[in-house]
Amino acid sequence: MNKALRFLISSSLLLLFAPLLSGCNDSSAPGTGPGPAQAEGNTAPEGRLFGASFQTLNNPFFVDLGKGLQKELAAHGDELIILDAQFNSLKQKNDLSDLILKDVAGIFVNPVNWEGLKGSLLEAQRKNVPIIIVDAPVKESDEELIVCTVASDNVRAGQLAAGALAKVNPKAKLVVLHLSVNKACIDRVAGFKETLQKYPEMEILDVQEAKGTTEGARPVMRDLIGRYPDLNAVFAINDPNALGVISALDSANKLDDVTIVTVDGSQAGIKAIQAGKLYSTSAQFPKEIGKIAAEKMLAHLNGEPVEKDVKVRVELITAENAEQHLEAD
Amino acid sequence: MKVVKQMVPLLAAIIILLLLFRIWVPSFLTPENMLNLTQQISVNTILALGMTLVILVGGIDLSVGAMVALVGTTTVYCLTALSGDTQDPFMLLTAILAGLGVASLFGIFHGIAAAKTAMPPFIITLASMLIARGCALRFNSGLPMPIKDEQTWFLAIGNGRLFDVVPYPVVIMLSLFLLMALLLHRTRFGQHVYALGGNREAALYTGIPIVRVEITVYLLCSLMAGVAGMIHTSQLYSAEPGSGEMFELTAIAAVVVGGTSFTGGRGTMFGTMLGAVIIGILDKGLNQAGVHYSLQYIVKGAVILVAVYLDVRRNR
Repeated sequence: MNKALRFLISSSLLLLFAPLLSGCNDSSAPGTGPGPAQAEGNTAPEGRLFGASFQTLNNPFFVDLGKGLQKELAAHGDELIILDAQFNSLKQKNDLSDLILKDVAGIFVNPVNWEGLKGSLLEAQRKNVPIIIVDAPVKESDEELIVCTVASDNVRAGQLAAGALAKVNPKAKLVVLHLSVNKACIDRVAGFKETLQKYPEMEILDVQEAKGTTEGARPVMRDLIGRYPDLNAVFAINDPNALGVISALDSANKLDDVTIVTVDGSQAGIKAIQAGKLYSTSAQFPKEIGKIAAEKMLAHLNGEPVEKDVKVRVELITAENAEQHLEAD
Repeated sequence: MKVVKQMVPLLAAIIILLLLFRIWVPSFLTPENMLNLTQQISVNTILALGMTLVILVGGIDLSVGAMVALVGTTTVYCLTALSGDTQDPFMLLTAILAGLGVASLFGIFHGIAAAKTAMPPFIITLASMLIARGCALRFNSGLPMPIKDEQTWFLAIGNGRLFDVVPYPVVIMLSLFLLMALLLHRTRFGQHVYALGGNREAALYTGIPIVRVEITVYLLCSLMAGVAGMIHTSQLYSAEPGSGEMFELTAIAAVVVGGTSFTGGRGTMFGTMLGAVIIGILDKGLNQAGVHYSLQYIVKGAVILVAVYLDVRRNR
C-alpha cells in the first residue's frame, strides 16, 4: 500500500506543478489562471471568457491571428483560451466540447477539416455558444450554424500571385505546391489558375501536395527539379512551403533560375524577398483577421446583425514594398 | 484478490485527479462534463481494449491508427456508392461489414505473420500501418469524404444518445469492455492468452494452439480498431484518410498506464479501462484549465513514466 501512496503523491505533485509552470506561457498562447477568478459566464458584461481552436499553432500566421483576437478582447476586459488541434480533427472536436462545457461566451474556430465540423457546431448551437470561423470557410450547408466567417480574400491572393509572376516571367513553366485539404488553399490555387488563363504562354507542369510546411516542401521540390529540367517558376500556397522550396532549390544550385511566388506575408517570407530568394508573397493580415473576428463576435453578443462572409484585404509584397511590411520587433 | 489490489492505486489516482481538477476548474465534476469525458475517451478506450490482448501475448499493433482511417474511408465510400441519397438498412450493414472486413483481413494477416514467421510484430504492423494508410489515401485522392446528411443512422453511431442521455459511443465502449473482460478473464481463450504471453515455449509444449490464439488476438485488435473507426468517422461527419495518426501510441499509453506488462503475460481489461480514463481526465482537465498545449505533452509524458515505473517496481 506504501507504493500506492507514493504513486498518488507523485501524480499529485505533477499536477501541482502544472499550474506553476503555466505561468511561463508566452504571450501568444495565454493560459487562463485558476477557475474561481473567472466571471460567471455570459451575465457579466466584463471579464467574459472566450475560446479559440486553431488547426495548428506551429505556423506564425495562427500565432498572429491569436494575438489579434486577444488584443481586441483584452481591450474589452475579456479573456481568451487558445487550443491547438495539432492537425487532428478528433482533438479539435474534443477541444471544442471542452470549451462549450466551460461555458465560454463565444468560440473562434479555424477548422482542421472544413467539411467535418458539423457535430461540434450542433453541440455549440444546443448550448447557445456562438461560433465564428476564422481564416477558412466551412461547408455551405453548415453556414446557418455559425455567426460568420472572417477570412482573407484567398481567391484574390492567388490572383495577385499569378499577376506578379506573369509580369517577371511571362513564359513561366511552373509547378504548384498545394495543400488540398484546406479550403483557403483551394481558393488560392483557384484564383491563381483563373488569372493564369489570361497568359496562354504560361504552363503548369505539375501540382503536388506539400503539407503546407517547410519540411513538407523540401523533398517534393527536390523531386520536381529532377523531373522537370525546364521548370522555371513555383507557386507555393504559403510562406512555410515557399521556404522549403527555396531550401531545395538552393541546395541544387538552381535558385537563380526559378521565380517563386507565394501567399502569406510572414516576416520570414518578407526577409526572403529582401534577400532576393523569393519574388512575391500576397500578404494576409492575420492580426487584422483576429481583430475583425473579435469585433464581429462582440457585435453579435450585443445583438447587432453581422454579415455572413467577411473578407479581409490581401496585398502584394515584392522587393519594392518589402521594407514597409517588416515589423520592428 | 491480487487483481483488486493492483487496481487500488489506479482508482485512487483517478479520484485524486478528479478532485484536483475540481479545485482548478469549478465545473469539472458536473454530470454533463463527466458524461462528455466518457464520450471523449471512447475511441481511445476501444483501441486500447484490443491493444491489451496483443500486448498480453507479447506483441504490439502499430497499425490501429491507420486502420481507423482505412475503415472509415472504406465504409463511407461503400455507403455513398451503394445508397446515394437514401437510407437503407441493408446497404448500411453492407458498408459497415465492408469496413470491418478490411480490418479483419489485416488482423488475420498480422496474426499469421506473427505466429508463423520470425518477423517481429513491431515490424509487421509498422509495415501494415504504412500500407493501410496508403490504402486510405487512395480514396478520393486523399481528401476527406463527407457523409451525406441523409445518412442519419450512420451519423447516429457517433453523435446519437441512448434514451437521449448516454452517447452511443459510450454504450458501445462499455459493451465491448464487458465482452473483452469476459473473454479474457472467464474463458479458456483468455487463459491461453496469458499462457502465451507468459512463456511461449511452455505454452507450445502444453499443447496450446498458439497459431489460432495469436490470429484471434490480432484479429480482435483490428476489429476493435474497425469499430473505433466507425465511431470516429461518424463523429467527424466525414471520413478523413489522414486521421488517426498517433492513435496507436495513445492506446498503448492507456494499456501500460493500466498496468499491463509490456513484455506480455500480465495485465487486465479493467486496468486498461482505468488507464484510458486517467489519460482522458488529464487531456480534458488540462485543456479546460487552459494549460498551454506544450505543457500538456510534458505532463502526460511524465504521468506515463511515473505510472509505469511504479508498476515495474511493484512487480520486480
